[in-house]
Amino acid sequence: MIRNYFKIAWRNLRKNKIYSFINIFGLAIGMAVTIIIGLWVHDELNYNHYFKNRDKIAQVFQTQTFNGNKGTGSAIPRPLEMAMREQHSDKFKHIVMSSWNQPSYLEYKDINISKNGNSMQEGAIDMLGLKILKGVKDGISDRYSIMLSASTAKALFGDEEPIGKIIKANSQYDLKVTAVYEDIPVNNSFSDLDFVKPWDLYANSMDWVKRSIDSWGNNSFQLFVQMNDDQTLDDLNKQIERIKLDAPGAEDTKQYNPVMFLHPMDDWHLRSEFKNGVKTGGRIEYVWLFGIIGLFVLLLACINFMNLSTARSEKRAKEVGIRKSVGSSREQLIRQFLGESLFVVVIAWVLAIIIVLASLDGFNKLASKAIEFPWTNPSFWLASIAFVIITAVLSGSYPALYLSSFNPVEVLKGTFKAGKLAHLPRKVLVVTQFTVSIALIIGTIIILKQIQHTKNRPIGYSKEGLIQIPVMSQDFLGKQDIMRNAFLSSGAAIAMSTSSSPTTNVWSNRSGFLWEGKPDGFQEDLAWVEVSPEYVSSLGLKVVEGRDFSREFPTDSNAVLLNKTAVKYMGLNDPVGKLIRSDDDGEDEPMKVIGVVEDVIMQSPYEPVKQTIFVFDRHGNASYYNLRLNPDRSVSQNLETIEQVFKEHFPNLPFSYQFVDEEYAQKFAAEERIASLASVFTVLAILISCLGLFGLASFVAEQRTKEIGVRKVLGADITNLWMLLSKDFLTLVAISLLIASPLAYFFMQNWITKFTYKTNISWWIFLMAGMGAILITMITVSFQSLKAATANPVKSLRTE
Amino acid sequence: MIKIKDLEKYYRTEEVQTVALNKLSFEVKEGEFVAVMGPSGCGKSTLLNIIGLLDDPDGGSFEFNGIEVSGYKERQRANLRKHNIGFVFQSFNLIDELTVFENVELPLIYTGVKPAERKRRVEEVLEKMQIMHRRNHFPQQLSGGQQQRVAVARAVVNDPKLILADEPTGNLDSSNGNEVMQLLTELNEQGTTIVMVTHSEHDAKYSHRVIRMLDGHKVTESLLV
Repeated sequence: MIRNYFKIAWRNLRKNKIYSFINIFGLAIGMAVTIIIGLWVHDELNYNHYFKNRDKIAQVFQTQTFNGNKGTGSAIPRPLEMAMREQHSDKFKHIVMSSWNQPSYLEYKDINISKNGNSMQEGAIDMLGLKILKGVKDGISDRYSIMLSASTAKALFGDEEPIGKIIKANSQYDLKVTAVYEDIPVNNSFSDLDFVKPWDLYANSMDWVKRSIDSWGNNSFQLFVQMNDDQTLDDLNKQIERIKLDAPGAEDTKQYNPVMFLHPMDDWHLRSEFKNGVKTGGRIEYVWLFGIIGLFVLLLACINFMNLSTARSEKRAKEVGIRKSVGSSREQLIRQFLGESLFVVVIAWVLAIIIVLASLDGFNKLASKAIEFPWTNPSFWLASIAFVIITAVLSGSYPALYLSSFNPVEVLKGTFKAGKLAHLPRKVLVVTQFTVSIALIIGTIIILKQIQHTKNRPIGYSKEGLIQIPVMSQDFLGKQDIMRNAFLSSGAAIAMSTSSSPTTNVWSNRSGFLWEGKPDGFQEDLAWVEVSPEYVSSLGLKVVEGRDFSREFPTDSNAVLLNKTAVKYMGLNDPVGKLIRSDDDGEDEPMKVIGVVEDVIMQSPYEPVKQTIFVFDRHGNASYYNLRLNPDRSVSQNLETIEQVFKEHFPNLPFSYQFVDEEYAQKFAAEERIASLASVFTVLAILISCLGLFGLASFVAEQRTKEIGVRKVLGADITNLWMLLSKDFLTLVAISLLIASPLAYFFMQNWITKFTYKTNISWWIFLMAGMGAILITMITVSFQSLKAATANPVKSLRTE
Repeated sequence: MIKIKDLEKYYRTEEVQTVALNKLSFEVKEGEFVAVMGPSGCGKSTLLNIIGLLDDPDGGSFEFNGIEVSGYKERQRANLRKHNIGFVFQSFNLIDELTVFENVELPLIYTGVKPAERKRRVEEVLEKMQIMHRRNHFPQQLSGGQQQRVAVARAVVNDPKLILADEPTGNLDSSNGNEVMQLLTELNEQGTTIVMVTHSEHDAKYSHRVIRMLDGHKVTESLLV
C-alpha cells in the first residue's frame, strides 16, 4: 500500500513539474532558513558552554546613581576584593580579580607579537576550567610567570617546547612560560584570552594600579566569582548589595548609592542590557526575533504546500472518488495524502540540507559566526526527524482532510465543484503569507533607515585618512615628540597627536570636580580624555568658543577643552576662563577652560554625545598616536613610510595600526548584521510567497479557461481579462497590507525606543512596502493572467 | 441479495428540493442481472450510488445480504464495499497516474491481499480480459474499449458478489460496447450479481429483468428471461 502511495506521489510530482518545483523548492528554502536560524539560535544559546562551571560563575557588577540616572557596569574598585574575601569567602569557591582584556607585546628571540590577555588571580584557571595541555595548573602563582593559549605558544615558539622558556612582555618583564592551555572556542567569553598573567605583577607594576589598592572611587577593575554549590544567586545578591555602601573608607562614593550584585555567566552574552539599574534583556531579543522569523518563513512555505495541494484538489478529486469506490476508507486517504506530504517534505529536507551546506560559509560571514554543520550531533538528527514530521503534518493535514472529505458520487459524476467556502481558507492563507512578508519588508526598511539615520549623523571630526597606532607599552613613554617630528618629516603624515583613548571610544570617566556655579549635590560624570596639543587640529575638531591648545602657552599644561554638551551639562554660561578643581586634594593646580569644541561622537552613535573634558596630557599618558595621512600620496605609500619610521625607533615592536573610519564603522556592525540577516530573510519570505502566488495564479487561470474563452468570444479584451484574473490577488495583498502595517508599526516602534538617537517611522515606509508588495504581486500574477488571456478562445472552449 | 423498500433521496439547493428517489422498492436476487432504465434525471444513478454504498438514502430501508445497511457509518460502508461490490463507470474512472496493472491491483491493496497473491490475481484477470499485453501502459495510452476492459477487470479482481455498472457502454462505439456487455454476461453466468444502469435498449437485452424508472419511482418491471 505504501509503495502504491509513493508511486502515485512520485508520478504526480513528475507530471506537474511547476507545481512540484514550487512546492519542493519553496519548502526547501523555508526549511533551509529554519535550519540555519536554528543553528544560529543554538549557537547563541550555547554561548559560554565551554565553561563547565558556568552556572556558578558570575561577575560582580555595580549600579550607581548620578543625578537620578542609574548606570550599571562591570567596573569595580580594588578594595572590593578584600571586602568580599573578609566577609563572604565561605560562600565562594573562587574570588578572582582581573584586569581588562588588553594587548601586550610578547617577545621571544626575534619574534615579537601583540596578543590580548588578562592579568588574573590564581583561582581563574580552576574557575574557568582551562584545559591545560602542557605545564602546571597553578601557572600564575609566581609573579613572573605567564600561561599561554595553544595558538599563542605556537606563534611564539613554533615547534619548540614552550614550558620553561622566558619571554619578554611589553619590553619590560621577563616572564617564564609555565603552562599552555587549549584555545577557548569563539562562542565563549574569554575567547580572546591569548595569555594569562599574574594579577600580582599587574597590581605592582603601574603606579595608578598600586595607588588604587584602597580607593573605593576608582572603578577600573573586574571581579569574577565562582559560587559554592550550595549558594544561590538571589541569596548572595542580598548579602553583597550594600558591601560598598557600608564599607569603611568608601564614604565618598556613598552619594552615588552603589549597589553591588552578581551578573551570572549564563546571562553575559544574551542578557547584559541594563536600564535604570534593571536587567532589561539584550541580545536575547534578537534570538527571539530570528527564531520567530525562522518559524514564519517555514510557515510561509507550508502555506504554499497547503494552498497548491487544495487548489489542485479538483484534479485529484477523481482519484479520491475512485479510491473510495474501490474500498478506501477516509482514514486510508488521509494517510495517503499525509504520506505524500511526508514524501515531498523529505525531498525538500534533503535539498534544504544541501542549501544549508552551500550557504553556511556565507551565513557565518554575514552573522560573524563560526557555526559548523552538526554532522555528528545526534540531537540535530533527532530534531530533524521531528522537524520533518511536524512540517509534513503541518503542511499536509489540511489538504489531507480536505481532499479525503470529497463525496465520491459527486466527483465521479463530474458534478463536483469546490464550494464558495473552499476558497476561503486558501485566501486566509495567502493573506497570512503576505502579512508576514509585508511586515518583514516594513521592519527591514525601518532597521535600514535607523542605521542610515545614525550614519548620517555629523560625527564632529574628519575620519578619512586618519589612522591610530596603539602605544600602550612602556617603550613609548616619553617618545611622543620625537615620533611626531619623525612622522611629520617623513612626509607620510601631515599631523599627529596623542590621546589616552582611541578616537572611537572613551576609556575613562571622572567625577569629583568643583567649579564656580556648580549646583549643590550635583553628581557629575565626565568623559575624560588626555590629549596632546595637536589633538584638535589633527582630528579636525571645530573650536566654537575660545581657543585650541597651543605649545606657545606654557600655562596650557593646566588647560582643558570642553565639548558643547559638557558646557550645557555643567551649567556654564561663559565657560572660557572658568576654573575646574579636583575636590579631593587642594594640591593639584586647578584646570582652566580655554575653549569649547563641537560635540564629537566617540562612543555609541545611537546615543547622545557624552559630556567630555579634553585635558592637556602632562604625564605622557598616551595610548594612541593619531596620524593624519598625507593626502598627496597614496595610502599604501604613507603606511609603508610610517612603518619604516616606526621600525627605526622601535625595531623590536610589531607595527600595528587601525583606520579610524573602519573602527567607526565597527560601531554599526551589530545593527548592520541584523539588517543584513533581516534583508536576506525578507527576500526569501517574499520569494516563497511569490512562488506560492505564482502557482495559485496558474491554477486559477487553468480553472477559468472556459470562462475566459466565453468572455473573449463575447468581446472581452486582454486588459479586461487581466484585470479579472489579477484583481482577486491584489485585493488579498491589499488586505495583508492593512493587517501588516499596524503590526509592523507596533513592533518596530518598540524596537526603536532602545535608541536615543532614533529615526522616525514615516508613512512613506508603509506606502513603499505596500506598493512594492502590489507590484511584486502584479508581476507574479500577470504572467499567468496574460498567458490565459492571450490564449486562443477556440482552444479554451474545447476544454469542455 | 438487495432488498430496497420505500427508498427516498432528495437533493437540496438553497431554493429548491429535488426528489431523486421517491418511495422506490424492489429486490435483486443473487445471480440476477438487472438493468435499470429511464430518462436522464429519473434517479437511476442515485439508486446505483446508494446500492454501491457511495451515498446515503434520506428514507426507507436498504438491506444488503439480509442486513440493514442504510445507517452504516463511513468506515463500515467502505469495508462492506471493498469486499462485496465492484464498480464499472461510464467514464471508466481509472487513475491516470497508475498503470493498467496498478489500477487493477488497487482493490486488492485495500482488502489487504499479499503482493504475490495480488500479482497472481491481477495477471489472471488481465489475461481473462485479454488486456495482459497492456499491463504496463497508462490509461491515456489505451482506447476507450481497452480502458473499459481495465475498469471491468478492476471491478472483478476482488471477486465481488455484486457488480454495479453505470452506463458501461456509454462512452464506447458499438463493437467495443458489445465486447463489454459480453464480458458482463460471462461474469453473470459465473455467478456474479449485476445491476446495470443504461439508456440503451440494446444493452438492456443482455439482462434478465428491466426496471424502468421515472421521476424517482419504478414505473414498470419486465422479465426478459
